[in-house]
Amino acid sequence: MLDEELQTHLALLIEQNVARGMAPEAARRAAQISLGGSDQIKESVRDYRGFPFLDSLAQDLRFAFRMLRKSPGFTAVAVLTLALGIGANTAVFSAIDAILLRPLPFPDGNQLMRISQYNAKIRGASNPFVAPVRLEEWNRMNSTFQALTGYYTEDDSETSGAIPEKITIAFVAPRFLQVWGVAPALGRDFSPAEEHFGGPPAALISSRYWRERFGGRPDVLNKKLRIGRAAVPIVGVMPASFPFPVSDVDVWLPVPVGAPYTLSRTDTWYTVVGRLKKGVTLAQARANLATVQAQLGKQYPKPDADIAVKIQPLKDTIVGSIGRSFWMLFGAVSLLLLIACTNIAALLLARSSHRRHEISIRFALGASRAAILRQLLTETFVLSLAGAALGLVIAGAASKIFQTFAANLPRVGEIHLDSAILLYALICSMIVTLLCGLFPALTAARQGISGSLAQTSGAQVSTRNRLQWLLVAVQVALAVTLLAGAGLLVRSFEEIARVSPGFEPAHVLTFHVSASYAETTNYKALTQRIDRILNSLRSLPGVSEAATSGTLPGIPSGPETEFKLVGGSAHPTRKIIADSLAVSPDYFATMQIPLLQGQACRERTSGMDVMVNRSFANTYLGQLPAIGRHVIEIGQHLLPPGEIRGIVGDAREEGLNHAPQPTVYWCITASGPDPYYLLRTRNAPMTMAQTVRKRLAQLEPGRSVFGISPLTAHLSESFSENHLRMILLAFFALTAIALAGIGLYGTLSYWVAVRTREIGLRMAVGATRAQIAALFLSKGLSICALGCIAGLGFAAVSTRVLAGMLYGVSPVDFPTLFAVVVIVFAVATIASLLPAVRAARVDPMVALRHE
Amino acid sequence: MITAPKAEVLQGTLDLLVLKTLQTLGPLHGFGIARRIQRVSRDALLLNQGTLYPALVRLEQRGWIRSKWGVSENNRRARFYSLTKAGKRQLALETQSWERMATIITRLLAGAEKA
Repeated sequence: MLDEELQTHLALLIEQNVARGMAPEAARRAAQISLGGSDQIKESVRDYRGFPFLDSLAQDLRFAFRMLRKSPGFTAVAVLTLALGIGANTAVFSAIDAILLRPLPFPDGNQLMRISQYNAKIRGASNPFVAPVRLEEWNRMNSTFQALTGYYTEDDSETSGAIPEKITIAFVAPRFLQVWGVAPALGRDFSPAEEHFGGPPAALISSRYWRERFGGRPDVLNKKLRIGRAAVPIVGVMPASFPFPVSDVDVWLPVPVGAPYTLSRTDTWYTVVGRLKKGVTLAQARANLATVQAQLGKQYPKPDADIAVKIQPLKDTIVGSIGRSFWMLFGAVSLLLLIACTNIAALLLARSSHRRHEISIRFALGASRAAILRQLLTETFVLSLAGAALGLVIAGAASKIFQTFAANLPRVGEIHLDSAILLYALICSMIVTLLCGLFPALTAARQGISGSLAQTSGAQVSTRNRLQWLLVAVQVALAVTLLAGAGLLVRSFEEIARVSPGFEPAHVLTFHVSASYAETTNYKALTQRIDRILNSLRSLPGVSEAATSGTLPGIPSGPETEFKLVGGSAHPTRKIIADSLAVSPDYFATMQIPLLQGQACRERTSGMDVMVNRSFANTYLGQLPAIGRHVIEIGQHLLPPGEIRGIVGDAREEGLNHAPQPTVYWCITASGPDPYYLLRTRNAPMTMAQTVRKRLAQLEPGRSVFGISPLTAHLSESFSENHLRMILLAFFALTAIALAGIGLYGTLSYWVAVRTREIGLRMAVGATRAQIAALFLSKGLSICALGCIAGLGFAAVSTRVLAGMLYGVSPVDFPTLFAVVVIVFAVATIASLLPAVRAARVDPMVALRHE
Repeated sequence: MITAPKAEVLQGTLDLLVLKTLQTLGPLHGFGIARRIQRVSRDALLLNQGTLYPALVRLEQRGWIRSKWGVSENNRRARFYSLTKAGKRQLALETQSWERMATIITRLLAGAEKA
């Protein structure tokens, strides 16, 4: 196109020359000389064409790198600060994304629902599990689900090898794989014959069990597992990516439909999961299943008339309460990033005033304001990109550490850095650029040509400095908030540790002995077997007491239930709500819970003994005598009225951070086929582990012993989530105060540098060095005080967020806040001391000479 | 035609000349602009006419002129350049600064003579 233009130009030139009287040949030559070489012209035009935006961007980048290289100290500090800020933020976001935001890793995971039943008449929760016969009816009669299925897990022994091995079995209803939408990696699903009563046995095994037990060999199909008395052939292997939502399952076995033991309507077995039909909403499903259950209620008034159905998205039930923790964590890292940004912004402001001269020259050379703005923002962008890159490395490392630390949190294995996270990091760095760099760039580029060249340092500096001080105060305020939160959590932790649990957790060994639910058909034999084990263990030299319990003391076991006192209670109108626990008679001696009144309970053949704790007696019996009265647990048809034999001391059975609640202890040795065994040992609990194994191998050769650990390990594990939260918040708080200190130091140093002349003047008229130092020290401390006041205000409001996680400490606990203020002032003093001392060392002669 | 040696034209001055030409004469193609500058300066300014084109591209990128294809007087296709509003403003600015510079220098020289 340029060619055409040039051709036209040449033609016109030739015409002009000819018109002036030149010969055509001479006219052409003269025209060519006059125009110049067309190649040359094209080349010089090409230099100007191209994409001006990209050109100037490349220029800006080059300049930015050069400027940043010139001040390596600033660049290093800025990049490191941003890396910490962006890295922490990205790490937490990747966890939130994997655990809370992303759907479950099944095809159309958001169609999966958890369905439970509850007794509408009873206050408090009831058993959410569903009888097999009801599951089949729901599946047949509903119109909103593709399929419903159920499962429950049990531990058992696999005895085909030399020693019995413990395996975790998931017993599943039909349509199990259909609901999850996953097919076996090897082999096949269960056939309809295998899923019905009277059909052949079959098992599916997990990928991990396949690798560990069978070495991952493809000839595993049709090998037989020996479970209980049956030999079960393996028909398929599940893929490695099948993360069973509850636990690591080794084997899946079908529960045959139509088996006589599955026909009871009052049994509660299954956790039910269903997959919604496409396009069906949760509300529609809820209405539909309510109708179905109402029909069943009419058909079988007992017990279905009292039963109601609850449906929740499966993801919600898995993720549960940790959502709040994570969003709190996200708030903390965002605060940290904000602090880092204000720090960088202050540093940039200081730096821009050093560059005023350079910028005004560029203005004089013809640069537009937009170009200067763009160049300054590019510098900030380069810093934040570098910070983001380093931050991603930090985030990757932090994720790995987090996954090992918090391995028992749900879905932790799904956290990884992918393109969505990278995009998030990029967006972070762009926001950071704007936050940090926009205002300093606007301030720097504000002057016109005449403005800055004629300036000496003076009044113009003061407004910028006010902004820098404001930024330091903001950082201090944010640091105070984080420190207050961390301090409160630490105090809570200490308070919990100090509390007396009401029982003695040290020197207690806990373990399980594998058994199957089939044993519960002969309760007497089961009790005798467990009693034999307990007696034998008690006779071991290192053991002083032995007992069983359905739940571990100090670990929250579940909801409370309603009771009724035969013969009336002290307050007839008040409902009797209490914890219901099942323990063997020696439980109280083993856990060293004192007997306050009455006698120890006994295991009885008819009727049942109970013990109540002091809270129960005080709350519900008052002055009435307790011994000999009977209690009935409402909704529990299997238990006869329990006779109160005695009153025991209060124990914090539901967790050390909960006050003791009224509790009814049923004296049942065999609360299930496989209760917790508790041994009080004379020495450290784990030293008895091998002895216990050997003794049980003698007593019960077909069973495996597993889960051997001291009770204290279980207790600290239940606090691991709190512990983790506390550590993280403390880490952030410390980083925040360090950043605030650096910001204070940097801003004060700059201020000292700017006022060198003034210092010289003051010294010349008689101020001592001490007075000068005091002047700057007080400036630093007064800004710190301002920040503290703002921070305390903010903390008072925001620590209410923590209220649910605190124990024994109020959100505005005075000693904690006082300690926080002391720490902040200490850091501020250290940060201000160095610049103040430097100010005092100024030589007045040198200072005054600098004009 | 033999021409006397002429002074090179500065890049910035060239921009000013192009803008002024377009303001005075209205939309014009490259040859027309070159011819006008040569005529007005009475051939005092050497103009390798080819150096006009990079300047025109630059001015267009800055948004001071715009171009449109048209037909020249000898029935050939040529690009016609015209002044934009921003260009008019830029022209006024540059004229101002030139005049200010000229006043200062004149006063300087007059003062020097007096001294």
